[in-house]
Amino acid sequence: MLKKDLEMLVALQDLDLMIEEADDVEKLGFNITGCSELKNARDELAGRLSKSLLFRYERLRSKLKRAIVPVKNDICLGCFLRQPTSIGTKGREDDEIFTCENCGRMLYWID
Amino acid sequence: MQGSELQKYFHEPLFIADIKATTKNDAIEELLNLFLETKHIRNRHIVLEMLHTRETLGSTGIGKGVAIPHGRTTAASDVLIAFGKSEAGIDFDAIDGKPVHLFFMVIAPPHDEDNVYLPILGSLVTTLNIKKNRDKLKKVETFEEFLSVITGE
Ligand SMILES: [Zn+2]
Repeated sequence: MLKKDLEMLVALQDLDLMIEEADDVEKLGFNITGCSELKNARDELAGRLSKSLLFRYERLRSKLKRAIVPVKNDICLGCFLRQPTSIGTKGREDDEIFTCENCGRMLYWID
Repeated sequence: MQGSELQKYFHEPLFIADIKATTKNDAIEELLNLFLETKHIRNRHIVLEMLHTRETLGSTGIGKGVAIPHGRTTAASDVLIAFGKSEAGIDFDAIDGKPVHLFFMVIAPPHDEDNVYLPILGSLVTTLNIKKNRDKLKKVETFEEFLSVITGE
């Protein structure tokens, strides 16, 4: 697994969150006109991920809303459980995608 | 959400009284840099991409000289707001076509425990719809002055 995949997943989820909340944001008084452009960009990005990774992402999203979550101070910000420090060292450096042993979400180290 | 509750999402290192940027892209980068300098965000290009994508959804220049670029990103862990002001004004493709003087950049994680992200955006829009607040904000020079306008004191 390449780190590039992880970054594409983060970008994909950021896009999905934006699409999801676009209606709410519009109600607050923002001008929303580019929904279809955004959805196209989303599909284009999704198409660049491997089928298996995209499937894994979609399945987690449908179950848990957020497929990939930040880890800060060794805490999974999906379920707020502490992750073993040993995973943290690898998680920051390895190209592999690590998941939270408790909630199953993919992890993204940000500190 | 009241102004007094908004207060805790602002921090002095995320405040610029005088934005140097003269273009939309540079303004976005200048504000984002504050989050990087204070280590609230590590991954610059991911967040920058998110903010640019957000602008394609519709400019966050909501008119009357105000822009509120915003978004959730997996690269952030806390909800935070940066403020910047440009006396000259910057073309931000705002809905009324007018240059933007007041910038509020709101960055939030994919999920915030207390669900404050949308209420924060709403509260900012409400506060900035009031002309008196905009006029005062255009004149603030210090973070303290800025906060007193936000909290309505
Ligand atoms: Zn977890």
